[in-house]
Amino acid sequence: MKIVVCLKQVPDMESKFKIIDDSKIDESQIAFKINDFDNYAVEAALQLKEKNGGEVIIVSAGPDRAAKDIRQAFAMGADWGIHINDPAVYEGDNFVIASALVKAIESIGDVDLILTGVMAEDIQAAVTGVMVADLMGIPHSTNVVKLEVDGSNYTVNRELEGGLNEVIALAGPAVFSIQSGINEPRYPTLPGIMKAKKKKLDAKSAADLGVAAEAKIEFIKMFFPVSDSMAEIIEGDPATAAATLVDKLKNEAKVI
Amino acid sequence: MAKILVIAEHRDGVLSEGTLELCKAAKEIATGLGAEPAAAVFAKDDAIANEVAKYIPEVFLVADAAVEVYTADAYTQAAKAVADAQDIKGVLIAHSYDGVDFAAKIAMALDCGIVSNCNKAAVDGGNVIFTRNTYNGKIQEERKVNTDKFVATFEKGAYEVEEAGGAGSVSAVSASFSDIRTSVKEVIETMAGSVDISQAKVIVAGGRGLKDGDKYKEVILPLAEKLGAEYAGSRPVIDSGWIDPARQVGQSGKTVTPDLYLAAGISGAIQHVAGMKGAQCIVAINKDPEAPIFNIATYGIVGDLFEVIPAMMENL
Repeated sequence: MKIVVCLKQVPDMESKFKIIDDSKIDESQIAFKINDFDNYAVEAALQLKEKNGGEVIIVSAGPDRAAKDIRQAFAMGADWGIHINDPAVYEGDNFVIASALVKAIESIGDVDLILTGVMAEDIQAAVTGVMVADLMGIPHSTNVVKLEVDGSNYTVNRELEGGLNEVIALAGPAVFSIQSGINEPRYPTLPGIMKAKKKKLDAKSAADLGVAAEAKIEFIKMFFPVSDSMAEIIEGDPATAAATLVDKLKNEAKVI
Repeated sequence: MAKILVIAEHRDGVLSEGTLELCKAAKEIATGLGAEPAAAVFAKDDAIANEVAKYIPEVFLVADAAVEVYTADAYTQAAKAVADAQDIKGVLIAHSYDGVDFAAKIAMALDCGIVSNCNKAAVDGGNVIFTRNTYNGKIQEERKVNTDKFVATFEKGAYEVEEAGGAGSVSAVSASFSDIRTSVKEVIETMAGSVDISQAKVIVAGGRGLKDGDKYKEVILPLAEKLGAEYAGSRPVIDSGWIDPARQVGQSGKTVTPDLYLAAGISGAIQHVAGMKGAQCIVAINKDPEAPIFNIATYGIVGDLFEVIPAMMENL
């Protein structure tokens, strides 16, 4: 099986965020990591490879710093990758990025399966995977929490509201967006980390891939949310704050 | 006149609440743009369409066995048929499990931009400016499309539910269906369990901040016991197998409305908040002062839950 995982490097969401000029994050304060949902996609791909043979290829659009986390996926066991390190792509909208991912996937050839995370933790759009499937003219399923393969036929569980799963059958090639909890992503081993350094990572530009897509949506500005129902923050050391809280719950909110 | 079209969401004959929120959004956006609000219903018969017509003036119904059960392919083909038959300016879809599965595909079919996971839309000089959560809810952004039409998906609760009372028209739109590539085998229940936390008066919930399953049990269970509460968790806690899936609160788990919901080490991602924001009193304990949970909590303590919760125990 030839399996592509579309992976994104994102900020650690517990970072201290600062906004510059209403338009971007101050990266000097940020630690980057693999998008959490993509970790599950990488693990799902590795498990399929272990069962059925084949290779796992990482395709990622992002600046030079993203190479660190593509290699992190190599250290987990992925075989090689394509890094689209061109701002014309990674600063584009979901459509531009999906178009570039498709060109990269087509350049690999004979891909059986494409996995992504359900969404990127930073932009939270959850549309790129569906666009990749549509551009390639292949079926997809989203929020996949169980995945079984029999030749080129797939049976997947698609998560629904309230603990329901829809069991779906479809024939590959296909795109699945992988939901957290489907597996337990492995940690890289030391030998894995050593091997990762030597694995092939091809850097590609929009021109290399022949990407001509243009953005269909525009970013206007970013800002910190202003809540009109912000919590009453109880100050003090843990003991004092805890005592105040218990008092408020008993005597003010009267809920305990 | 151009239409702002809500795509109705329903399952097993039940219309989703999100659809009623979208009806409200469609009316606001349509008013701003000088357009008309409308809805599209894809179903086997006209039952859902007649219900939707109580909330919006005009309903387009594609009634076909092909859309009796949701699939992305059939919904996209049905939406395309409505868009071909009518002057559609914008399409509004719930950012739900089904919505996420087909919204981008409809945007591709209409060759227009999609702004997903929005919580607000404002019309400014003929443009719709969408506000949406990013960075796990820590930052918001505004976006707009630069195409003539748009598709937007809205998170649950973004708008109030539209009140029933209208008597809209229902008109049939014919669509032809081909090449539906996914087939639904069955729908299964994965949270079957003995416990039903949805009736609890007090819930103590733990999240990723508990670090591991043993610490969850050491910290959360005694507090829950002392308060006579049910214990629960956010998605990472269930994904990691620390507690039973029936105890998950959020979009993919249970919706709860207790008198007191105590969230320890839970950041407050929208998917979690969707399941607990109806609680009367919400307490958030988190070491990250920017965690979005503080935006919806009644009381908050910024601190180490491993110190705060034992200190609470001494006062109970």
